[in-house]
Amino acid sequence: MATLPNYLFSITPGSSDPIYRQLVDQVRRLVAAGQLAPGETLPSVRDVAQQLTVNPMTVSKVYGLLEVEGVLVRRRGIGMTVAGQPRDKHDAPERARLLRPILERAAREARELELDADTVVALFTHILKEQS
Amino acid sequence: MTSSLIQMRGVAMRFGGKTVLDGLDWEVRRGQVIGLLGRNGAGKSTLMECMLGLREVDAGAIALFGEPLGALSDANRARIGYVPQKSDLFEWMTPRQMLAYFKALYPRWNDERVATLLTRWGFDVLDLNKPIRRLSGGERQRLSIIRALAHDPALLVLDEPVSALDPAGRRAFLGELIDEVVERGTTIVFSTHILTDLERVALDVAFLKDGKIVLQGPLDDLLEGAHQAQGGVRTDSLSLEQLFLEATQ
Repeated sequence: MATLPNYLFSITPGSSDPIYRQLVDQVRRLVAAGQLAPGETLPSVRDVAQQLTVNPMTVSKVYGLLEVEGVLVRRRGIGMTVAGQPRDKHDAPERARLLRPILERAAREARELELDADTVVALFTHILKEQS
Repeated sequence: MTSSLIQMRGVAMRFGGKTVLDGLDWEVRRGQVIGLLGRNGAGKSTLMECMLGLREVDAGAIALFGEPLGALSDANRARIGYVPQKSDLFEWMTPRQMLAYFKALYPRWNDERVATLLTRWGFDVLDLNKPIRRLSGGERQRLSIIRALAHDPALLVLDEPVSALDPAGRRAFLGELIDEVVERGTTIVFSTHILTDLERVALDVAFLKDGKIVLQGPLDDLLEGAHQAQGGVRTDSLSLEQLFLEATQ
């Protein structure tokens, strides 16, 4: 039950996603992918705020929303931890659903750039292979 | 009433035949961190100066800490920190002399914090002993920020506080603001055109236009609410830049 490093998160100010939503999405993805295991402790609000140079209230809001969603659990004397049972790794549709918003945005930008579907899919396939 | 730290009612101010503030109402609650936005010449600096009693208004009422501005107690006056957009004062003094002068004016003065910030922000012995007029624009701005933070203010008013700072200097400054909020729950009002900085620190924003506050609210709500007003066609919220352009149009 190690405490995670606070450089776990990153943000892009100036985007059309408010900072809090960027962070909520990141935690959801990390949990869904198993990179954040159940029971793991998240860095404190203060540490994340200072690391990312964002208002601590924004980080509190992120943790609060994820707590309501059941992704995180607040534990006395420990702080925020990842909730529950390890997710079923086979639950691919559930995990794929989390990818949808970001792909929708990519699709919109692709249309704005007037790229055809084959080119975009080929590029995405290429990126997937690059990263693995 | 008590939770309202800044209260402005019907504030009007004409300057050189031009109406700068036009019956402006504004309220800032204790503990708020609020960004004041507006186009160039919208009157942000004037608004801040009126708010602090540095300029006379033609009409309206202003209260700070629940006290009318005209009858502000010394104790509350000493709880205000202000970084003006441009400060030409005390240029003949050295930073050391200027800080000593201000220290004498305030009942509270955090020597340790001043020393830490001076070191962290690159003031060496040489800089501390040369006249302020010979410092660079960035150094003067940093000094002005240190002066404003030195007495651990309860209200911090910052007028374009980072305009002369490079990205590293801006980040260091934002880090100090985060510490302010974490350690002291300071109420902060600041104006800037660097929207990415604002987005990191401000939870609320207020837009000044035509001499009035035309839009104010939690930044996240404004960013996300804006798209619903457009018929819910967009799945994205607005960026702060888009919001700025729309709100100040």
